[in-house]
Amino acid sequence: MGLGHLASRALLRSSRLGASKPSHHLLRRTVVSTPELHNSEAAAAEAQPEPDLPKRTPVAGARVHFPNPDDAIEVFVDGYPVKIPKGMTVLQACEVAGVDIPRFCYHDRLSIAGNCRMCLVEVEKSPKPVASCAMPALPGMKIKTDTPIAKKAREGVMEFLLMNHPLDCPICDQGGECDLQDQSMAFGSDRGRFTETKRSVVDKNLGPLVKTVMTRCIQCTRCVRFATEIAGVQDLGVLGRGSGEEIGTYVENLMTSELSGNVIDICPVGALTSKPFAFKARNWELKGTESIDVSDAVGSNIRIDSRGPEVMRILPRLNEDINEEWISDKTRFFYDGLKRQRLNDPMIRGADGRFKTVSWRDALAVVAEVIHQVKPEEIVGVAGKLSDAESMMALKDFLNKMGSNNIWCEGNGPNPNADLRSGYIMNTSISGLEKADAFLLVGTQPRVEAAMVNARIRKTVRATNAKVGYVGPSADFNYDHEHLGTGPEALTELAEGRHPFYSTLSNAKNPVIIIGAGIFGRDDKDAILAVTEKIAKNINAVRPDWNGLNVLLLNAAQAASLDLGLVPESEKSIESAKFVYLMGADDENVDKLPEDAFVVYQGHHGDKGVYRANVILPASAFSEKEGTYANTEGCAQTTVPAVPTVGDARDDWKIIRALSEVAGVNLPYDSLGAIRARIGTVAPNLLQVEEREPAVFSSVSLRPDVKGTIGKAPFGSVVENFYMTDAISRASKIMAQCSALLLKK
Amino acid sequence: MASSVKYLRVPPNSGSLEEARRRVFEFFKTACRSIPTIMEIYVLDDVVSPSQLRSTIASEIRKNAHVTNPKVIDMLLFKGTEELNLIVEHSKQRHHMLGQYVLGHNLIHDQGNNDTSDFLQKFYKGNYY
Ligand code: SF4
Ligand code: FES
Repeated sequence: MGLGHLASRALLRSSRLGASKPSHHLLRRTVVSTPELHNSEAAAAEAQPEPDLPKRTPVAGARVHFPNPDDAIEVFVDGYPVKIPKGMTVLQACEVAGVDIPRFCYHDRLSIAGNCRMCLVEVEKSPKPVASCAMPALPGMKIKTDTPIAKKAREGVMEFLLMNHPLDCPICDQGGECDLQDQSMAFGSDRGRFTETKRSVVDKNLGPLVKTVMTRCIQCTRCVRFATEIAGVQDLGVLGRGSGEEIGTYVENLMTSELSGNVIDICPVGALTSKPFAFKARNWELKGTESIDVSDAVGSNIRIDSRGPEVMRILPRLNEDINEEWISDKTRFFYDGLKRQRLNDPMIRGADGRFKTVSWRDALAVVAEVIHQVKPEEIVGVAGKLSDAESMMALKDFLNKMGSNNIWCEGNGPNPNADLRSGYIMNTSISGLEKADAFLLVGTQPRVEAAMVNARIRKTVRATNAKVGYVGPSADFNYDHEHLGTGPEALTELAEGRHPFYSTLSNAKNPVIIIGAGIFGRDDKDAILAVTEKIAKNINAVRPDWNGLNVLLLNAAQAASLDLGLVPESEKSIESAKFVYLMGADDENVDKLPEDAFVVYQGHHGDKGVYRANVILPASAFSEKEGTYANTEGCAQTTVPAVPTVGDARDDWKIIRALSEVAGVNLPYDSLGAIRARIGTVAPNLLQVEEREPAVFSSVSLRPDVKGTIGKAPFGSVVENFYMTDAISRASKIMAQCSALLLKK
Repeated sequence: MASSVKYLRVPPNSGSLEEARRRVFEFFKTACRSIPTIMEIYVLDDVVSPSQLRSTIASEIRKNAHVTNPKVIDMLLFKGTEELNLIVEHSKQRHHMLGQYVLGHNLIHDQGNNDTSDFLQKFYKGNYY
């Protein structure tokens, strides 16, 4: 046994003793050069099974779930016995045993391709090393992962891969987080024998988001599988064979998927990288902050990578219950909007209609003076779609103290139902959608409203052949669906059982109805909800063990605002308002406001709301503050500040707290802890961070009967432009390019 | 420049409060006398007037009006002399002057009254506390 081999074993053992972080697996392998391996038989004979087997921890905390205890089989990985369910691959068995197998083409969430051969391991009695990712584990299999044969096989594969891989790591954006780089350090040989010229491949244009350097591609086909399986677009494919093999779009074509950014993450090399991030930073100089996305109501888990005061990029974070490991393109690329159009000083509009920078002291004094001059019922507050729960609580408390009860959150419509929590959240939970076998989408286009929810539905449709029925304007779907009609009359037919799709729904074991938040703005909203509830009752979608009546919200603030009871007292309050407090609300219709109304805009972007404002109070954006957001399934999560605030801006809740004091109606909290305690008395579920609290009652049995008839108007599409839905994405240059190039006209 | 500041010497310890007081006035006068030079070398004509600078100096000194210990006053005087030295020697750059004595000075006026709560005072100062 060679010295290097011994050293690697010693390293292995010592790292296992302190094995708290299995992710450092790469460090515990030493680079072994080949000479002693040429004599592999002798080395293999010497490598006796170790007598003492220290406990191993599964790779990355992998857990085994046995659907049926009888199906457990036992295999031996490096002499260490593990129990795994039948049907697992050799690679998965090794992961459970705590051995990380190098791989390029294998990915947990994609189908198995088995074409990179990096995962070769030795299996006793098999004549050749086997590709562990494609080989099912059989009972009693003896798998050897660190024998000379396995190592030599890896070295060989590595050498072949590097043969045609350019040596441009210094100018490659993947440098430092490249699987090929890491694995060639850990498993590769110390020299190559290749002297000819390398092949080169023409770069493809995939649009404004994904930059390609196709010479770097190692043909693992992860991106092709991702596009066809997860994103559901048949844009990418493999052309040619052998050394002529290329990844491309067949014809000159952009990749039009709302999930296209994820191919950047799954590409193991630098062939697909982020175009906006190209040459901007190295990954080791970035500070990662684990936070939450606010661009839609899904609340995808993200990591904000920042350098100094600048957000450099946004990456997904694993959360099986919400976004798995993907994020939508808007989430990933709208960050450059955080640098543009920012409000950084308090401003007052002068007599000439121009804004003048003033101090916080003066700005708050002016607002406090005006708010005392209007009648309480003429005060209106609107929370924007990006507001956190803390600031909405403060706004509601402040305006209530001023005597007004006209506070709402934009997007909730004039008369929201905030009484029953099950009436506005996704009761099945996002991951629960996978149990469904029939879907009815009412007035919602999940692909643009909540891309991650749509990916879940697609996953379910692919896995179980679930049927999807859709009521609404013609829309783009990336899975099979049946268009049942454009207006509410299709719902009436379904409720009465006259529609052909009704039998599909009623035969389903776990039917799911998803109502889009777009109907909240309709006059016949209650009637539509009632008829949907009738369908739910008829098809038995709401039972003690399954509540399949879902609402899909649009904005990050919506669920929390309804939890906190931000419901306007009167529907027409905006028309008679004299004092309007817009807390980041840009999409509220301010045209109906009386001419002499005084508008305060508190927010972080100079967007639509600013045009009508009299006073601007600059606030911090989601990447700069700590705030609680509840997503569409009612799961509360908090953002974490990643970068400092811009200019003289302040956190939202602090502004309102300060204003309340200047106005003489002190709010009784001056720390985040105290305001959260106050939230706890109103909506305790918002304090259960990262834990989804299901709604207790279902609305079907408790809702009083509604009067009113269903209108004739067909459902509209709520999200006109997927890439521009809020103040941040409207300020983003990348999103503007996307909407110019990728939106289907 | 160095020749013009020869007279800026650190004085020996003051024996009494009275002496320290006199020295402060002397220091103030020295500082005021160097204002024209300062205006010139940092090109401050279009942003500030000599009288404004004079009152800035005065208010910087008044900030420490409560100090009665001659030793502490000496120390503060030392720091003031040092600062003046640096300024006159052009060791600073224009934006230092603007930030510290032209713009920063206006902010000091902002925090006048003390009848507000702790929270509000911190709020006016900045977002982080
Ligand atoms: S572009 Fe990247 S992900 Fe796609 S096949 Fe090549 S190496 Fe694999
Ligand atoms: S990971 Fe097994 S062949 Fe690529």
